[in-house]
Amino acid sequence: METYLGIDVGSVTTKLAVLDEHDELVNHVYLLTQGRPIDMIQEGLRETRKQLPADCDVCGVSTTGSARYLAGVIVGADLVKNEITAHAVAALHYFPDVRTIIEIGGQDSKITIVRDGIVTDFAMNTVCAAGTGSFLDHQALRLDMSIEELSQRALASSAPVRIAGRCTVFAESDMVHKQQMGHRVEDILYGLCQALVRNYLSNVGLGKDIQPPIIFQGGVAFNQSIIRALQEELGMEIIVPPHHEIMGAIGAALLVHEEMATGGSSSQFKGFDQSEVKYRTSSFECKACPNNCEVARLSLNGKALAHWGGRCDMWERVAAIP
Amino acid sequence: MTTIGIPRALLYYQYYPMWKTFFEHLGVEVVTSEPTSRNTLAKGSTRVVADTCLPVKVFVGHVLSLVDKCDYIFIPAIRSLKSRTYNCAKFLGLPDMTRAVVPESPPILEIEIDVNRGKRYLYQSIYGLGRHFNWNPLRVREAATAAMEAFISYRGLMSESRLTPLQAIDDITGIPRREPVEPSIAPTTPSATIAVIGHAYLLYDEHVNYELIHRLEQYGARVLTPEMLTEHEREAAVARLVGRAYWTYEEDVVGAGGHYLQNEVDGVIGIMAFGCGPDSLMMEILRREAGNQQTTAFMCITLEEHTSETGVITRLEAFLDMIHRRKRRRVALCV
Repeated sequence: METYLGIDVGSVTTKLAVLDEHDELVNHVYLLTQGRPIDMIQEGLRETRKQLPADCDVCGVSTTGSARYLAGVIVGADLVKNEITAHAVAALHYFPDVRTIIEIGGQDSKITIVRDGIVTDFAMNTVCAAGTGSFLDHQALRLDMSIEELSQRALASSAPVRIAGRCTVFAESDMVHKQQMGHRVEDILYGLCQALVRNYLSNVGLGKDIQPPIIFQGGVAFNQSIIRALQEELGMEIIVPPHHEIMGAIGAALLVHEEMATGGSSSQFKGFDQSEVKYRTSSFECKACPNNCEVARLSLNGKALAHWGGRCDMWERVAAIP
Repeated sequence: MTTIGIPRALLYYQYYPMWKTFFEHLGVEVVTSEPTSRNTLAKGSTRVVADTCLPVKVFVGHVLSLVDKCDYIFIPAIRSLKSRTYNCAKFLGLPDMTRAVVPESPPILEIEIDVNRGKRYLYQSIYGLGRHFNWNPLRVREAATAAMEAFISYRGLMSESRLTPLQAIDDITGIPRREPVEPSIAPTTPSATIAVIGHAYLLYDEHVNYELIHRLEQYGARVLTPEMLTEHEREAAVARLVGRAYWTYEEDVVGAGGHYLQNEVDGVIGIMAFGCGPDSLMMEILRREAGNQQTTAFMCITLEEHTSETGVITRLEAFLDMIHRRKRRRVALCV
């Protein structure tokens, strides 16, 4: 069977999705990145190999997410694509008439406006992570409950309290204050969800023409309270696709399928055995010019495979020489 | 020979050839600071209060790097260039603020440009600057006339030959031009023309903007900038969008952006510094205009002191993807 592998390495989670030649989802893996992207890419490959039927032949592999270049070198990607495009392509595949795509992940949040099946506008959170999953994670941790529990308990709220969501630091002090006043935990939690939604809509969604159908994807779409808060704030129905958390990986797989169909070359995929190879990462300060860039290096058996982080392409060129 | 230092920041990109001509005519040697590096920014940001904007932090870093290298440092205070236009407060107080935060600086020579106060005041200001080097008003006048000519030919060079300030300054000072960038992606993707607009100190400071223009060229895009337009084209767009300009450099943002949204390009990218008051208003005007037109893509990128360029790269890639996919769809519909 012909298959296409999409890998989405985000700041919080790593996702792998395998599609067959008809773009049907064959298999997917969802892991926490835990700050160790290489280990998790390898773990993902191991899992995928275990779960895939034996007759599968990987005809194309693509990486996306914030660690897409790193992942691309490790697996031998045929295509490295940014996550904004990957998410839009996946949403359009399942919902061809979608007009707004809301995506909230661990460290970033995006909005994509689609008209007649073509992306016309997008935005991504700027300097602050207040409207993202890490904001909720952090508050759940502070209240000593899991994020799943937060999601369920907030649903029970009847009189949500207003919490300033402009900044996580302010939100936290506001929350402490509301706790000390004796508000119910459920109401505070739902107030927090509303704050996140308000923050998202006034930051990322600022000036965007939000029209239904609206697709909500990304890890935060697991959270029922956020869906409710979004629906209430927008006054529109929110559709959460069944595989919302791996849409980036699915989009990457769709893109590489498209690319291989038009390009016609064979895949660069290094094989599932890459999961057992010992990669090393290190970093150093380049002294070639006064910029003193922090350059990250990926190496295998003492040989440098790739460099990142330089302002110029000096180190990237070094890696290109075999 | 007396030397005067010009920091390679803020208004340098707009006026360097003019200032250089003025001082050289008065027998003064001009030295400039090196292009911004991580060090420049790091040093600059330790001197100023935390909420100072990124371009001013960079400016202070450049002044610091000139401290032992010249007898004077030149910092203009540009208040207005046209009647009833206003400049950002940080430009108004730039010489005084710099004196306060860089006490070890050699004497700072300033000139106040405020056309609201009339021609006589302007001439007095020019003489006030020139007399530090030559008491004879005629010599100062000659230098000022030559400087103005240099400025006009600098602007003409950029708009006629479609050069960026960096390329034009290289041409004027006789530095061979850099090789054109080879696109590093497969030529199968259709090429796009992108206008990058905003203040020159953000567009051409490659450290601050993560080599944005260079990257766009690597992706195979043709890049146009505000300086490649004539004064008339920019002013016409300002008149169409807002009537009369309020900000001193409104032509570079609203003017250039407004012009490009209607002409020549597939997309317009606005660059602004985080926390910039005038830009937050001007970019909003452009965003609304792009929304009303629905023809040319628009995106605004906000620059801050992030050391990672990832955010900017992801946005650039997605923006170009959006344009390519739109174009491909249009071609498919036509066939």
